[in-house]
Amino acid sequence: MTARVGQKAPDFAAPAYYRGGFTSVKLSDFAGKWVMVCFYPGDFTFV
Amino acid sequence: MSAVAAQYEALQKLGVEVISVSVDSHFVHKMWNDNELSKMVDGGVPFHMASDQAGHVGRAYGVWDESQGIELRGRFIIDPDGVIQAMEVMTPPVGRKLAETVRQFQAFQHIRATGGKEATPAGWEPGKPTLTPGPDLVGNVWKVWNPSME
Repeated sequence: MTARVGQKAPDFAAPAYYRGGFTSVKLSDFAGKWVMVCFYPGDFTFV
Repeated sequence: MSAVAAQYEALQKLGVEVISVSVDSHFVHKMWNDNELSKMVDGGVPFHMASDQAGHVGRAYGVWDESQGIELRGRFIIDPDGVIQAMEVMTPPVGRKLAETVRQFQAFQHIRATGGKEATPAGWEPGKPTLTPGPDLVGNVWKVWNPSME
């Protein structure tokens, strides 16, 4: 499954850091809400 | 990511949840937040920083860079039905402009609120006129919109 506009976003679950704690985050837990998913090359990179 | 965190309040006002994703572990996310990002944004990063060490999520979204083992800069707008409405993928050296993302959320939310009856012309922002596609508009867009209104 590849991401395309107009198509369902691929669901995922992943470990996460969130407000001081470790948890997991699942895209489908945000069903009914607008979501921005942002990928980036790596922590401590410069841009 | 600090730029995203700085815009978080504007995004929250629009009811937008944020998830950032990179190949770093959640432990490294904590170190980055505590040692650097929290010095750029009061209170640090307020949203989930997800870890995708195997690149499974990045592959599914088409942003996985096989040669470097990292994820490209990719930004996806997902609506309440879980449908991707917009995506932007960039090579790493150029950063995003979050104001444009906020504008796109506003435009997509407006379209959704009107049940898809309206369309937003180039450069639309809240308060500016929209277009209502239909037979009467064909060939007549120039009467209601031109690039100087962008």
